[in-house]
Amino acid sequence: MKKISVDHLARVEGNGGISATIDGNAVTDVKFTIYEGPRLVERLTVGRTPEEDVSIAPRICAICTLSHKYAAIRAMENALSVKVSPKVYLLRELMHMGEMIESHSLHLYFLALPDYLGFPNVVSMASKYDFEAKIGLEMKNFANHVMKTISARYIHGENPVIGGFGKYPSKEELVWIKSRAIQFMPFVMKTVQLFCEIDYPDCPEDETVFACCNPPENKFGFHGEEILLSTGDTIDKDNYTNLTNEFVVPHSYAKHSLYQGKPFSVGALARVNNLGERLEGESQKMYQKYFSERWKKNPLFNNAAQALEILHCFERIPKLVDEILEHSQNPPIQTYQVKEGKGTGLVEAPRGLLVHHYEISEGRVSHTDIITPTAQNAEDIERYCYIAAQKLLDNGEEDKIRDRMDLVVRAYDPCISCSAHLAEVKKAPQENWKEQLDQIKQKGTPIFVGVGKKDHNDDGSGIELALHLKKRGVEDVWLESEIEEDKFGRQENGSRPLLFLDAVDFRENPGKITILPLHYVLSNASLSHRFLPFLSSGLNYQQLKNSFVLGIQPQSLDEGHKLSPSVRKAMGQVIEQITH
Amino acid sequence: MNKDKVKIGIYELTGCAGDALLILDCENELLDIFKAADIQSFSMAKSDNIDGNLDVVLVEGSVSTEREVEELKDIRKRSQLVVAIGLCATVGGIQARFTNPKEWEKNFKKVYGDVKMEHTPPLQSKPIDDYVKVDYYLPGCPIGKEQFLHLFTRIVKGAPPEKYPRPVCVTCKFKENDCLLNRDILCLGPLTADGCGAACISHNLPCVGCWGPVEGANLTSEYYLLKEKGFDVEYIKKKMANYSGTKIAEFFEKIKEEKK
Amino acid sequence: MRIVKLKQKNLNPFLEVISENTELWAPVRKYTDRHVFAQVEDVSQIDVDYTRTILPPRKIFLPPSFNMFTATEKEYKENFSHATKKILFGIHPCDIHGLLIMDQFFNYVFEDPYYTQARNNTLLLGHSCWPDEHCFCKSTRTHIIEEGYDLFFHRLSEDYLVWIGSSKGDDLIRLMPDCFEEKLSDEDIQFYIRLREQRNEAFQTEVNFTAMPDLMELKYNHPLWEKIGTACLACGSCTNVCPTCNCYNVMDHPQLKERGSLIHRDWDTCTLQSYSEVAGGENFREKRSDRLKLWYTHKIQAYISKYGKPGCVGCGRCIATCPVDINVKTVSQALDGKDVDAFWNRLNKGEIK
Repeated sequence: MKKISVDHLARVEGNGGISATIDGNAVTDVKFTIYEGPRLVERLTVGRTPEEDVSIAPRICAICTLSHKYAAIRAMENALSVKVSPKVYLLRELMHMGEMIESHSLHLYFLALPDYLGFPNVVSMASKYDFEAKIGLEMKNFANHVMKTISARYIHGENPVIGGFGKYPSKEELVWIKSRAIQFMPFVMKTVQLFCEIDYPDCPEDETVFACCNPPENKFGFHGEEILLSTGDTIDKDNYTNLTNEFVVPHSYAKHSLYQGKPFSVGALARVNNLGERLEGESQKMYQKYFSERWKKNPLFNNAAQALEILHCFERIPKLVDEILEHSQNPPIQTYQVKEGKGTGLVEAPRGLLVHHYEISEGRVSHTDIITPTAQNAEDIERYCYIAAQKLLDNGEEDKIRDRMDLVVRAYDPCISCSAHLAEVKKAPQENWKEQLDQIKQKGTPIFVGVGKKDHNDDGSGIELALHLKKRGVEDVWLESEIEEDKFGRQENGSRPLLFLDAVDFRENPGKITILPLHYVLSNASLSHRFLPFLSSGLNYQQLKNSFVLGIQPQSLDEGHKLSPSVRKAMGQVIEQITH
Repeated sequence: MNKDKVKIGIYELTGCAGDALLILDCENELLDIFKAADIQSFSMAKSDNIDGNLDVVLVEGSVSTEREVEELKDIRKRSQLVVAIGLCATVGGIQARFTNPKEWEKNFKKVYGDVKMEHTPPLQSKPIDDYVKVDYYLPGCPIGKEQFLHLFTRIVKGAPPEKYPRPVCVTCKFKENDCLLNRDILCLGPLTADGCGAACISHNLPCVGCWGPVEGANLTSEYYLLKEKGFDVEYIKKKMANYSGTKIAEFFEKIKEEKK
Repeated sequence: MRIVKLKQKNLNPFLEVISENTELWAPVRKYTDRHVFAQVEDVSQIDVDYTRTILPPRKIFLPPSFNMFTATEKEYKENFSHATKKILFGIHPCDIHGLLIMDQFFNYVFEDPYYTQARNNTLLLGHSCWPDEHCFCKSTRTHIIEEGYDLFFHRLSEDYLVWIGSSKGDDLIRLMPDCFEEKLSDEDIQFYIRLREQRNEAFQTEVNFTAMPDLMELKYNHPLWEKIGTACLACGSCTNVCPTCNCYNVMDHPQLKERGSLIHRDWDTCTLQSYSEVAGGENFREKRSDRLKLWYTHKIQAYISKYGKPGCVGCGRCIATCPVDINVKTVSQALDGKDVDAFWNRLNKGEIK
């Protein structure tokens, strides 16, 4: 229940890892782990003044620092009813673009490209691909300069404050940024070409829901007052928990049927998928040229989407500078008298939707809620890694799993994606299912559901198992046929694990036992046979995450009423283990 | 790799990774940095990392889990010199504000509830010298480019790094900023180590103290000065504590005693 | 010495002409109410209605932080990039006195080429001033100037009386001879004399400098110093704003790319804990009070025996700058036995509630 809050406090860049556990022909577990310790940033800001919060909260993450600063300021200005002048608004957009280019170019050239070109880092890559390395360094350098000019430092600059800026950049500084941005265009086009023309592997591919800010005036951009989903729905900023709390609190049917079994993705790919039609100029041309339906299914295209966004920023900056220069007056910092209020700020961090929410009481922060993009992506990262791992395993390419998971995690750019360098493929120990079963029991007394068809030989093993358990007096054992739709969803709220008993064909020797998370089975075409759809659609996401399938490898699924000896033996072991 | 080059490892514990990122922000010097030293481990920048014996390690971040204690002790064993880089490693960072263990526990529960962490038990954030001997300190939230390059160059040339015992006020005056304390604004410049180039004050904003306390800082005097200017005592204390990590606790104890 | 007259409206055209091939430095406004010496491209930026700049003019001759020389395996290269040809306009008498003290200091036994070269390349064009509540240059006898300038501009109501103090100053006048009148009227002279008297009356702060060397000696171990030390923030601002402070630190900055170093020279300040630390970690003046005593010895005692005048020129910068009121005024008054109204005194008396 609480796991999501763990993630959105600990940052992810730096210390994280992804691991997949393989048991025979099945991937039984994929974990995206964050080793980063707890920092309690949300609690640190409680009791502080709004100004202190705006200084402390961005320290969550160095590479998204200005996005955090911007989100915090937007939330605070909403809470305190502060209205800023157009010049402030435009300058914030410019500083935010600096971060977008900095982060994207760092990710593309330093972290992702060495992978595709086969180097361990950008420095060794530079020995052969001097030009590409140079573009990356120069672009990052320019973006850092933009951020420093407006925020006062490369990282954790304090110049943007509630109500405006401590100091405004001079006309000369802004004109320099504009002319430099124009000079960069050929290299930006080269970047787009480079990253849009990479031959991204077609694994993993699967549908997902994309979420991003809906920028005002039907423009492409990086902030907004509401969230736009690829389903076409929108969520007002103040109701952001409707999206993000999905994991924490079970909702009514209508809500979770939308995302049920479908974690969502945020980031550059989400923005381009949701807003690509709104791009203008060269960006629109390039979008038309490179965009395909695969972008909607394959997270690796995030690299291409980032390149398109870099182009968007470089095209926007000269116009933005002109708009800023139309305002010659530097407005003083807007002051406020409000001491009570609550407010939400939405922005797009380079790696996706970022929400800051504050409640102010007696002039001090009384409640803080910060939802970071990587916390939102964590579910999809695991899911896509699972899909990739299982597919590669099916194709007999087990040796590629580690690198592919690396690629997937890094594509999501979870802050600095060094976490992906820790990718690990584990071989499950013998009889691993026994240990897994113990772990499930620790989560709560399981509810058992026997699934299958008794007239298809070994496919009847699930039903048969359930009947045996009932006979042994095990409580809460159900047969598939006894279950009415929605039963679990309404009664159990996911607090107790569900264990489905079934025959699952993962091309092992007959009688081999494996325990898999239910959603792996559902998202895997080769594993899921005709698993009753109503069983899973009646579950909310939390329940889904707490459901498992105990599968026995069948020998025969032909018509008949016989269970093969090896399956029968396996059933005996399962009964022994459960009742033991 | 090269026998003559100093073997360096750059490690990150709990923090925002800003110090490692700052190193990558040295775009113009980056290739030279990698040429000048044998950088064996730097997980943000490269994937072919080796965790062997090292001449120097730069450690960023606070110690916030059991796993990090083990990692840090292992790093110490493998290295001749340990340099704490960044505010989190030097004083514990913003997350070390809860100096009282009970207060920390209470706040931890508010955020995480009773959930048991699967991989490693959490710890109250502490600077790295709470667990291992530290040879040099490079403060900053995050560290500054100039100070980093200075330290790094000295290390790879075999010279000991220099200390930075100046308060922000020195650079602030070099830049001819007017003293904000004289304008009755709560500025922590006199208490804070220099290295940012007086960035905030040069932007008409008061110093928040993000380099941590400077050696020889006179906290008592500034505390009473702000009190005389009419600032709320609790507000002064919180401001001073925001970026001072665990190192501020003793001072507040002292003030309490003085009151008695 | 020669005195000529210039219409005020001709000042800016004159400055434009003389700075055609030379950097012009002058007081300009910073924030709304402060001033700094800065290089000006456009003479309209100059604001002569100032009392004191934040940093004294010595920053032009020895920048707060600069690279003195580069030493690599191949070469030794000195850097005199700060010592360009300059005209410094608008400097007040106290600051000229400050430079005269620096001149002695940096040529006392050995010549400091970095200072001297910059100094020799700079013409000083002084400007008259009016004291505010912090000025006490009358007490240090630095409120008037007899030497050390190339030109000095005394502002009257519509004109300037211009003192020509050197042949170089005279050369400047010759660039626009038509603007300067040789003949002064009686009225001008009377106006100038009256103004001088009024200015002398306008000083609000007085420091008994004649007694200071003795008092400094007699009270060297007085508990007063502990009190002052308790309040000192050790921020170094008093020394940085002082026109006669000259301490510096030299640091090697090794180069990443090649064998060799840049040798940096930074202003140092004796109020910092690290100032008196020597190899091995020994510190001669670990206490703030000991460090303050060093500074005040230099300002109000030692220079008098060495250079014949105090190391203080009464510019009032320490008064305007120190947040805890430790300055030549309060310290000398306290040495004189007075109960001064200063933060450091209130702190020690426990008056801060």
